[in-house]
Amino acid sequence: MAAVATRPRRSNTRIAGGLILSALALLAVCAASILLGSRTINLAALAQTDLTVILDMRVPRTVLGLLAGAALAVSGTLLQGVARNPLADPGIMGINAGAAVAVVTGILVLGRQATGASVWLAFLGAGAAIAAVYTTASFGREGATPVKLALAGVVVTAVCSSVTSAIVLADADALEELRVWQVGALAGRYWPVVLQVGPYVLVGLVAAMFLARPLNLLALGDALAISLGQHVRRNRTITFVVVAVLCGAATAACGPIAFLGLMVPHLVRLVTGPDYRWILAYSFVLGPLVLLLCDIVGRLVSAPGELQVGVVLGVVGAPVFITIVRLRRGVEL
Amino acid sequence: MRALRLVPIALAAGVALLAGCASTAPEEAAPEGGAWSYTSGDGKTYTADEVPTRIIAHAYAAKVLMEFGIVPVGIYADGDIESDVGLQGADFEGVEVIGEEWGKIDVEKAAALAPDLIVGDWWPAEDAYSGLEGGVEESSKKIGELAPVVGAAQGDSIVELIEGYAELAESLGADTSVIEAQRADFDAALEEFKTAVAAKPDLTALAISPYEDTYAVAVPEYAPELLDLQSWGLDVIDPTTPDPEFPYWESLSFENADTYQPDVLLFDDRSYPANEETLAAQPIAKDIAAHAAGAYTTWPAYWLHTYPDYAEQLRDLTKFVNGADENLTD
Repeated sequence: MAAVATRPRRSNTRIAGGLILSALALLAVCAASILLGSRTINLAALAQTDLTVILDMRVPRTVLGLLAGAALAVSGTLLQGVARNPLADPGIMGINAGAAVAVVTGILVLGRQATGASVWLAFLGAGAAIAAVYTTASFGREGATPVKLALAGVVVTAVCSSVTSAIVLADADALEELRVWQVGALAGRYWPVVLQVGPYVLVGLVAAMFLARPLNLLALGDALAISLGQHVRRNRTITFVVVAVLCGAATAACGPIAFLGLMVPHLVRLVTGPDYRWILAYSFVLGPLVLLLCDIVGRLVSAPGELQVGVVLGVVGAPVFITIVRLRRGVEL
Repeated sequence: MRALRLVPIALAAGVALLAGCASTAPEEAAPEGGAWSYTSGDGKTYTADEVPTRIIAHAYAAKVLMEFGIVPVGIYADGDIESDVGLQGADFEGVEVIGEEWGKIDVEKAAALAPDLIVGDWWPAEDAYSGLEGGVEESSKKIGELAPVVGAAQGDSIVELIEGYAELAESLGADTSVIEAQRADFDAALEEFKTAVAAKPDLTALAISPYEDTYAVAVPEYAPELLDLQSWGLDVIDPTTPDPEFPYWESLSFENADTYQPDVLLFDDRSYPANEETLAAQPIAKDIAAHAAGAYTTWPAYWLHTYPDYAEQLRDLTKFVNGADENLTD
């Protein structure tokens, strides 16, 4: 008994150490994100414009990377846990498609000058999509089962995508706006956007920390969770609300960023095993780490221009994800 | 009473006289000019036994021909005609539109118009006329088989381009006094502009087109209207490192948007004011002295084809230069 009890504790120390190392790496990446870019900045001789670039462009960009990275990775983790589906991510749950349809509808109805509103529209669209997915999947006695959630996600994505296509075919302005929005980028969104979505992400992240225990129990299956005194339906609903807030805010600010929400939880499980307390803590750190790294790569590979982080993440993410899946252990929930 | 009765007689005589003129005029013209000939932008001289009357023209060429009194039967444009800043003020009522997207011309409609001349700008760099360039759909290029294709050459000056079309319009029977009047008004506007610029020898200008995440600086070498402005004394800055694949612009990230510090900014008028708003939303805008001081206006980007348009643009620029501070930046 004593031997059994000490084994996990030793591995907990190792996992905690890994988390601290990851946090230090994140700090270094933040510093790099502030210092590196298409403009060469000499810290010894800072001009007025250098300060503008650092304080008003690179710092908000880095903060946005932290917020969006954490939001997407944590919501991916929550979704995979609550849907008990290793493929669940914001894209599959209809969130990106819902946000996109809201953005183009906004352009169609309000006109091009309303681009400042597209952050809120994307937020609304993402929230509406995930609400639709959850409600659709909840019909029936057994509630939102993993299979029904996945199917509902596919349906909502299909409906939203067709409406989006219909609108952009008819309206060139909407197409132009969508073209810019749907790449997914941290660039060009400064303090106003950070301040718009920041509070929602922070509230969502704090709430997510309280969901670790319910998710651990949910992982045992609905029946066992209920027998252990869990309010399965209530916890599932709360989790979906938190996911909607996190994902909606991140997607609204940056556009749809593929792969992060899917990849990071799998990456994390390789290290932590199935305990959601660790998975969530790691996602919280590794999400921003991966996102900011990809963003920095995007800034450097195509200088003097830039490559959007969404593009880099897709290119880097696919092979990394395949590698993780081939390691098998990561897919186990 | 007598006088009143005389009126119809006088009218009848007048009609007879006119009819006489009409019937004799072509007979007189034919031996003189050997019908029609025009030395086109590609350097070749095109001839025909009769003066072409059924013309299909690229919309910009159509605008300048119509300004000189020659109305085509059909036009094709690079985009939506109504919103094209270069086609404002043109009245295409009664002219058939056979294309409103770059590279796409409805050749069936064109053939139905039975054209005897196709008119578009000659692009020396591409060795082709507007509508027949590389990248245009093969089905669209068949328009070149319907009739001879001619037009003035795009080159180092919009004035030369307009003069090329003036020559074409004259060959097609345009009233030379109309052309001369437009030229004279333009020359007057040009003199005012030169005077204004001469009074501010230190004034520097930068032609830009900010969009999305890019601060694009126009390269005057590939913008004939900017070359014109330079030749008339305005110091339009030549960016040092044009994009390798598309040297019309030097594309800078907004982090580097302060690379050039001109006294005044000239925004691409095709996407103004949206492009100004794009720049204004960038934190670095406050470090671009000309933008911070509100010292900006527009420049007619890549569309000028007529004297009235050019004169109007020069008068606006003259006013702007008169109010500009030539010592805003060093």
